[in-house]
Amino acid sequence: MSPLDRTATPVSGALRDFDFPPVDRRSLANGLDLRVAKMNRLPMVSLSLFIRASEAALTDGNAGLAVLAADALEGGTKRRNGSELAEALEQIGAHVSAGAGWEGTSIGLSCLADRLPKAFAILAETVLQPDFPEDEVARARDQHLAGLRQRTMDPASLASDAARERYFDPSVPYARSVDGSEATISGVSRGDLRGFVDANYRPELGGLVAVGDVETSEVEAMVLEHFGDWSGAPASLADFEVQPVTRERRVCIVHRPGSVQSEIRVGHVGAERATPDYYPLSIANMVLGGMFTSRLNLNLREENGFTYGVRSRFAFRSAAGPFQVATAVGNDVTAPAIREIMAELAGMAEGGPSDDEVAAARDYAAGIFGLQLETAGQVATRVGHLVVYGLPDDHFDRYRTNVRAVTTEEAADAAARHMRPHEAQIVVVGDADVIGPAIEGLDLARVEVIAPEA
Amino acid sequence: MSQLSIPFERHRLSNGLKVVLAPDRTVPVVATNIWYGVGSRNEPAGKTGFAHLFEHMMFQGSAHVPKNKHFELIERVGGTLNATTWFDRTNYFETLPSNELELALWLESDRMGWMLPAMDQEKLDNQRDVVKNEKRQRYDNQPYGDWSERLQKLVYPEGHPYRHTVIGSMEDIDAASLDDVASFFETFYVPNNAVLTIAGDIDPTETLGLIDRYFGEIASGRAIPELPGTPELDALIGSTVRDHVVSEVPLPRVIMGFRTPPYSSPDFAVAEVSRALLGMGRASRLYKSLVRERRIAKGVVTYVYPLLSGASMLLVWATGYPGGDAAELEKAMSEEIDALSGAQQSEIDRAISLTETDLVRAMERVADRADLLSMFDLYFDDPGRLNGELDRLRSVTLEQIKEFAGERLGTNNRAVLVYEPEDKK
Repeated sequence: MSPLDRTATPVSGALRDFDFPPVDRRSLANGLDLRVAKMNRLPMVSLSLFIRASEAALTDGNAGLAVLAADALEGGTKRRNGSELAEALEQIGAHVSAGAGWEGTSIGLSCLADRLPKAFAILAETVLQPDFPEDEVARARDQHLAGLRQRTMDPASLASDAARERYFDPSVPYARSVDGSEATISGVSRGDLRGFVDANYRPELGGLVAVGDVETSEVEAMVLEHFGDWSGAPASLADFEVQPVTRERRVCIVHRPGSVQSEIRVGHVGAERATPDYYPLSIANMVLGGMFTSRLNLNLREENGFTYGVRSRFAFRSAAGPFQVATAVGNDVTAPAIREIMAELAGMAEGGPSDDEVAAARDYAAGIFGLQLETAGQVATRVGHLVVYGLPDDHFDRYRTNVRAVTTEEAADAAARHMRPHEAQIVVVGDADVIGPAIEGLDLARVEVIAPEA
Repeated sequence: MSQLSIPFERHRLSNGLKVVLAPDRTVPVVATNIWYGVGSRNEPAGKTGFAHLFEHMMFQGSAHVPKNKHFELIERVGGTLNATTWFDRTNYFETLPSNELELALWLESDRMGWMLPAMDQEKLDNQRDVVKNEKRQRYDNQPYGDWSERLQKLVYPEGHPYRHTVIGSMEDIDAASLDDVASFFETFYVPNNAVLTIAGDIDPTETLGLIDRYFGEIASGRAIPELPGTPELDALIGSTVRDHVVSEVPLPRVIMGFRTPPYSSPDFAVAEVSRALLGMGRASRLYKSLVRERRIAKGVVTYVYPLLSGASMLLVWATGYPGGDAAELEKAMSEEIDALSGAQQSEIDRAISLTETDLVRAMERVADRADLLSMFDLYFDDPGRLNGELDRLRSVTLEQIKEFAGERLGTNNRAVLVYEPEDKK
């Protein structure tokens, strides 16, 4: 064998490509979209029931109702109380978790394959017959409110929360917190939760995803057995237009006395999941701030040492979510960091990425895609997206091909239209007395200083 | 009951590098994972946080790899990478499409053998800034951010290697020099102080050949020096020791720490199962009583740190509601800990059941498998322990739990750290 030449990067071996696991799709009589993917490397099952009972469909006055309902499901059913439910699940080592957000409500189940029939029965009972006992509802409310309080004192959460209402017009649900507020949560009653669930926990426009050591026929039979009588569509569905608050750049400091770092958010309204620019825009964003070797990270972290890390991201929701750059930096470098972020944004929007950068981003995106399909849970999440966003059945089969087909021109064009530094809303959570003057000196816009909401 | 079994083979190069290979050809992914036997416990006074700072330096290039090239090359092939520093060890890991194994071997061997030529003051100063930002972001700027620093001081005596935090102090981080980098590298980053695990789509014979090719010529180092300070300590703290903090926190929080048998002790399993009975899942004692029934805690957490030197640490957290009484929280936690004397077999069975699912889940990813194999190899010289984990926990008896609770979870072995909001509503 020839002596090793360490100066040369090793040559890659032959690429062993592999496919997204085949997904069996059945539209059930009750309107539920069933998707099953077999992965039997290990005796695990990851299952997710998606119900289109969403926060986005709620009026501002009811904000947080879907989230609270999902949280309170563990309070018990008509047959057994919360502790009994927990014991029954944990005895068979099964995890059931429920959560709600902008798109809908998801109830997830993770267990060993031979426990699935028992675990599924408990999941069905939880979803179809929740009891919402008074004391459990009170507990869920209290936990929720305490959580809201925690957010106001966590600088990162404070920054993202302050930023969102500066991106979206108040008529857009995305302007408010997905969890609601003290005002909307405090008054929620058992009757409200029951009413919400009765009207909106319905199979149509929702789906059931099961991935792991399972057969489609087995899952279908379980669904028919436990959800056979379930039918209809949610009473209310999301219906709104996304508008920005303003197209004028603004700067806002949320004063946090004694802060030793500044949390910076720079962003504006982004793009929806169905945007025809999805692939080129994802690549452009990867180059800007979606990888360790992105322009933002190499600049702010590796070259300047301003931060532990910086990322940019488009939230591709059913409707356009925010585009946002996020980072935490030391007090004395806050203004320079903002300057560098704006420079990188402008550079990308005006000049686009280089051929080499696009090639690297394409390779990264296509390459890690395969790494993220090892677990039943990872695959279940992806398959879930097909249901949530109404993506074509072969979307993931074609993902890598589509990513690799993105050209430099397409990426640059997408960046020019979707990254708009002149419309950026800049929000900084930090000690205004310390960081204020230097930020004013950047001359980006008039600087508004506000005290955080108590 | 499923039987967990990951096939593997072990080797050792002549320079002392230990190798574990765990082939699995079902998915074209490979995970490389190196554990070096160095962590914050090896840091003498005045040099806290250095093992972690050094970990950052390991990504700044080596003799044949320019700065940032490590990240660039891995991301280019669609891989992920990271490293973490802990009390007893530092690990470095990549997950890649399996046809890129050689890239990982080249990068890891180059920095294991020839990291120093690429080090300079500019890189050190830059990563020092990054680490200081990390400290601010994760600890200094966070509510409750100093909890670990305070708790470790309560549980571990002066001079013990676990008394200081992994992130270290700003002062010590500022004082770190290039000379420190060199001597640290020469002392600890040697093949005889490391284990390399490769899991996933590999041919073991071919892979071993490659490993020998890339790592074989790295010179062995001297024996690793003894730990600074005094790792031996009394089994019990001796009393209840306290720290009370009024600061900008949203909710009252009580964190209890107990000195428990070290990870190498057969009794460690008893600590693991005991903490599960207390706080694993929503049918656990603390959740049922404090969170669901009495509604004085918003959440509870329990876990055990698997530490090797002298004593590990069992932790119990309870977070209260706005305006809540921390003393009431503490009393309720004590009551539930005392009540462990009435534990039932069904509780153990539940804990084992949950752990079984978690263990199988941990086997799904090659990266997780590789990390566990490295740990068992470095800590116990026995990667096969991975396949005996469930049995080890299943063998814990009710009697042992009751004895453990009485001996180790009483008021003569308790650290209590309390946080209260500045303005109580």
